[in-house]
Amino acid sequence: MDISTIIFIILATIIVVSSVSVLMTPNPIYAAFSLAITMVTMGFLYFSLDADFIAGVQLIVYAGAVMVLFVMVLMLFDLEKETEAYSKGTFSVFLKLMCGLFLTGAVALSVRQSIKGLSDVAKVATPAEQVETIKLLAGRLFTQYVFAFEALGVLLLVIAIGVVAVARSRGGTHARH
Amino acid sequence: MPDISQTAAVTLNHYLALSAIVFTIGMLCVLLRRNLIVMLMGIELMLNAVNLTFVAFAHYSSDISGQIMVFFVMTVAAAEAGVGLALAVSIFKRFKEVNIKFLEHLKG
Repeated sequence: MDISTIIFIILATIIVVSSVSVLMTPNPIYAAFSLAITMVTMGFLYFSLDADFIAGVQLIVYAGAVMVLFVMVLMLFDLEKETEAYSKGTFSVFLKLMCGLFLTGAVALSVRQSIKGLSDVAKVATPAEQVETIKLLAGRLFTQYVFAFEALGVLLLVIAIGVVAVARSRGGTHARH
Repeated sequence: MPDISQTAAVTLNHYLALSAIVFTIGMLCVLLRRNLIVMLMGIELMLNAVNLTFVAFAHYSSDISGQIMVFFVMTVAAAEAGVGLALAVSIFKRFKEVNIKFLEHLKG
């Protein structure tokens, strides 16, 4: 077993355990913490896949901005009541387990079907190619995908205005005074 | 008996399997949890699983386009988190509750 395999196994274990704990913990704050661990570990995995720049963006955008947003909104709510509302009945646990097993089977089957025809020949990039990656990325982003890039800029502008409008809206037909 | 050093290398299939597992967990998080915020976290998990697939394909087929797609997915994910959390705040302000178990009246 070489070192990259060991690193992959460690990272994959951390990712699976922390994402399961997002699903299982009753307290949303712990779920947010587990999600942050998942994001950071996913960044390391990108790093091991020679996607250095993506790994950096993952750490800044996800583990930084998005998680701060989540935790900030969580602080507005009454967490004590949330933890109590987490259902623990035997029947519902059984139902959840069956749902999970069914879904896992469906996803595993579809992955199995889709990877049948793939030949996985690993082409490892040389160090010189890795230095060029960011340049290559920028070239593609600002030539081939420039329309999508501009459209994303417009989308972000719309979102920034829309979020403020939604969050501070009051009144309407369902208002409770 | 196959050679251990030959079979132990990390292949594309490993990454795809990990991605499928994380995607399933994220989808279960959306389907089973009743807290709005945790459901949004499940969506983030699913988007991350897809990003992992993109990066793995970009690496194993030596094509940089997969990483460009990850940029776009990340931007849309950040926008989606912003809108979702704004909706959660709005719902909380009207119903004093973010657990969808208690949101059972169509008329507020």
